[in-house]
Formats: sequence, C-alpha cells, structure tokens
Amino acid sequence: MKLNEMTISELSEMLRKRRCSATEILSDVKDRINETEGKIGAYISINDKAENSARKVDEAFAKGEELHPLAGIPVAVKDNISTRGLRTTCASKMLYNYIPPYNATVIDRLEKNSSVIIGKTNMDEFAMGSSTENSFFHITRNPHNTDYVSGGSSGGSSAAVAADEAIAALGSDTGGSVRQPASFCGTVGLKPTYGRVSRYGLIAFASSLEQIGTITKSVKDSAILLGAIAGYDRMDSTSSRISFPDYASNLNASVKGLRVGIAEEYFSDTVDDEVKNAVYSAIKELEANAAETVSISLAAKEFSISSYYIIASAEASSNLARYDGVKYGYRSKDYDGLTDMYEKTRSEGFGDEVKRRIMLGTFVLSSGYYEDYYRKAKLMQRKITAEFSDAFRKCDVIATPTTPTTAFRIGENTEDILKMYGSDVCTVAANIAGIPAISVPCGKNAMGLPIGLQLMGDRFAEQTLLNAAYGYERICGGFREVK
Amino acid sequence: MDVKHIAKLARLKIEDDKIADFERDMEKIVAMIDGLPDNERDILTENVNPMSLREDRAVTDKFTRDELLANSPKVQSGCFAVPKTVE
Repeated sequence: MKLNEMTISELSEMLRKRRCSATEILSDVKDRINETEGKIGAYISINDKAENSARKVDEAFAKGEELHPLAGIPVAVKDNISTRGLRTTCASKMLYNYIPPYNATVIDRLEKNSSVIIGKTNMDEFAMGSSTENSFFHITRNPHNTDYVSGGSSGGSSAAVAADEAIAALGSDTGGSVRQPASFCGTVGLKPTYGRVSRYGLIAFASSLEQIGTITKSVKDSAILLGAIAGYDRMDSTSSRISFPDYASNLNASVKGLRVGIAEEYFSDTVDDEVKNAVYSAIKELEANAAETVSISLAAKEFSISSYYIIASAEASSNLARYDGVKYGYRSKDYDGLTDMYEKTRSEGFGDEVKRRIMLGTFVLSSGYYEDYYRKAKLMQRKITAEFSDAFRKCDVIATPTTPTTAFRIGENTEDILKMYGSDVCTVAANIAGIPAISVPCGKNAMGLPIGLQLMGDRFAEQTLLNAAYGYERICGGFREVK
Repeated sequence: MDVKHIAKLARLKIEDDKIADFERDMEKIVAMIDGLPDNERDILTENVNPMSLREDRAVTDKFTRDELLANSPKVQSGCFAVPKTVE
C-alpha cells in the first residue's frame, strides 16, 4: 500500500517509528495528484511551499521533538478558507486573483501542529451548490465513476480524499456541503456544532449556518482533525467557550445501550429504495450490537429546505455585498461611473447560481416580503431547533440517510434547480438547528456508487457522535475501499 | 417577479436575453419557499445561538498598508482608487 492511501492515524504511527518520512508521504501524494488530477479535478491550486513544511517536520522528528499526530500529514483545504500568501478564490471569477494577507484560524491551528497544506480544493462558487459544477474553474468528478458528480459544495475536498490525493481535508458545511460530498464519494464528513470551530477566515456565505468541517478516510481521523481545529477563538464572536474532550483518545467503539433515534420523516418516498435499504441495514447492524432504536418525530423537516434557502440567501445577499471591485478581486474593465462599475463588476464576476441566491436574498428581505419570508423562516428555525432538543431527550444520536439519492450524473440536475436543491433535504436541518452531524459510508448501490449514513447529535455532543460513528465503522470492519 | 428591479437593488445587471430565464428560475424558487406556516413567536423563546460580545479592546493584528492594498484592482497614492463620484 502506498503512503497516500493510508490514514492520519496510520501515518502518524509510521512517522514516529521512523518507517517513513513526511517528505516521502508528500511525494506519494504528489505522485497521485499528477497521475489522477486530470481525471478528477479536485484542486484549484497546489501549495508550492508544501515540500518545505514536510522537510521541517522531518528535521523536527530527527531532533526527537514531540509532535502532534497531524505533523507531516498532507491536508487539502477548501478554497473558501483563507491561507496567507496562497491564492483563495472561492471558485469564483470574483476572487480569481485574491491572495489573503492572513490565515483563517483553522489554518493557524493546522500550521501550529505542523500539518502540510497540500493545496486548495475546488468547490461550487461561494459554496453555493451541491455538485461542484458551479465552479468558475472546472468541475470535480467522482473518483468512483468519473461520469458522476463529486457532490458539493466541498466536492474537491471529498474527491481529493476519496482519490487518495490528500490524506484528509477541510471543507465547509452551510446546508450539507461537507456531508453530501462525503456521502457521494464514500468518505467520512463531519460538520461540528455551530460555534465549535472558529469561522474566522472562512469567506462568509451564510454566517449563522456555516461551520468548517472535516473530510477523512476514517472516524478516528475526523476525531484527530476536529480536535486540532476546535476551540474558542476571540476573532469569531460566535465561537464557543465550552470545553471539549480529546476526541481521538476518548473514542469508544461500543454501541451497547446507544439510543438511536429514527424519524420516519427522513425515510419518505423521495429517498431511493437502495439508499433506504442500506441505511436500514446499518441501523440493524447497530441493533445487533446492542444499540437500541427509538422512534422520534421531526415533523418540521418538511419546512427545513424552505427555511434554509430563505435564511442562507438572505445572509448571502448581505455578505456578498462586499464584492464591489474596490478592495480586492475582479473589477470590470469597462464602466461609466461608480454605480456602473459596481453593477458590471458583480455581473461579470459572479456566476448565475450566485446571482440567483443574491437576488433571492434581496427579495426575501425587501420591503413587503420580509414578514412573509424571512421572519417566518427564523421562527421555523426555532421550531426545528426545539424539535431536535425534544428528540435528544429520548435518544443519543439520530440516524438518517445523508442524501436521498447517490451521486447523480454530471449535467443531470444543472437545468433542474429544485432537484439540485432537493439533494440537501436530509442535511439542512442540522445547520438550521446548529447541531453536529456526520456522514459515514454504509454501502453502495448497484452502480457501485457510495451511500451515506448520517448521524446527528445534540449540541456540543461531538464525542457521542464520533463514538457512534466509530462503533459503526468497527462493525463494518473499516471503510477502506479496494481501489 | 420583477427580476430587473431585484437585480438593481442587489447591484446586479442581468442581460436582456437572460431576464426570462432568471424570471422562470426565481419564480420556481419562490414557489418552493412559499407557504411557511406562521409560528407563534412567544411559545418559542429559547435563544438558540447566544453570542457573547468580545471585550472592548484595541485589535493588535498588524497589517501594513501595502498588504491591505495588495489585492486592490486599482491603487493610487496609497489609496483605493474608484471612479469620480462628485461632479
């Protein structure tokens, strides 16, 4: 097995036993990128300083220094997370040349732990999309079948991990953008509780919903990576001061007595039979290992997509008002006065999906419509949150499909906007309620495309969530694919 | 939906030949988000994501003027340059 095919925990142990070097790991990852990137398209930029970082890790190990388990591990980073001196585009023409003067807090934390930032991954423009077909640069294909999408919006991050072009990756999840591509590509995707991870330096789309999350090959790797990036940050006023355990060393695979909530609303007719059956089988496996299932009700789910698109678009219309062609990014070449410069810059710089969301947000906030849309959506947010609070009095985790279908064909949903939006139907509620959720592989359909099991947990109960996912991973004998 | 008007509010310009497409798509989306029930305000008062305000103290992160101007499309005499706005 090549080094790039291994997990963080395996490589971390090998590095400590001097069975490989950080430079060798990076070299295998780079070879894989050179070999496969033409087919997959997971990256927008490759970090030319990665070799330097890897060399420093090798020198530190040679001196006998104690390093974090992430030291020397090549991690890919979604291109909406600011990296000092390394181009950060949000996959938009608007930021095609933007070079951040500062690091996102998560990047500072990765660097402090001596991870190797391998490159910046492709995404839907400004994280608006569910297939990575909305990138200004190129699409990202599914490593399991390149005729299919990788999911989105963190499609590049998930495809890079699935194709062994990175050991692990960071993504961002506003309505499912870590979990849905994880489900489509057969990786492990974790969205933490709102406030668990600092958003400082994450280029804003919908500030009240989004969190930076992890995409990995195993649950243990998620625990390691989350532990490294989590925690209070004074630069993000919504980041939480609530303490958290060492997730990785507290992992416990026993699911005995674990109360698994099942809400029938998540297994409706819109979910493919193959997906339903795979998720039901996964739940049965948990039961066979002494977990208990509990029937719960999440009736407000039917309003979650509407509420999500109202709140997310409203915030997007405000957050994206900053792109005016003055301070950074693209400016139209030809304009007549200030207003014309704004309008032409924004019209030429944003893609159609971003324009639709900005206009939707402008509409729902505009005079005469605010009461009908935005206010109702914010009240529905409270109802959805209260339903989850009630549910977690009866159960420890909630099991659902991550997505109603497996990956769709490239181009299949680009003309049908509502069908595309519908692929988030199982994931958006966790963002609306601010709770943590994870997607783990739970089988494949007849076409060989991965299916995802989503587990949702109570606020700040990441350890319970990771333990449940870890228990399921052990029951499966691991998620590793035969390449 | 008056796409032209909404676009103007959002400082966007939609080409004439694309107005119909945007109108069709936006109407579909608005139909999707329509019809949320009106939940009672007072029965649901739990504050979901309380924010704690940060201490009132000077930010000490130091960026040089050059660093902050480096990404600007047009800089003149150490300032962001924009078209003339006052006659």
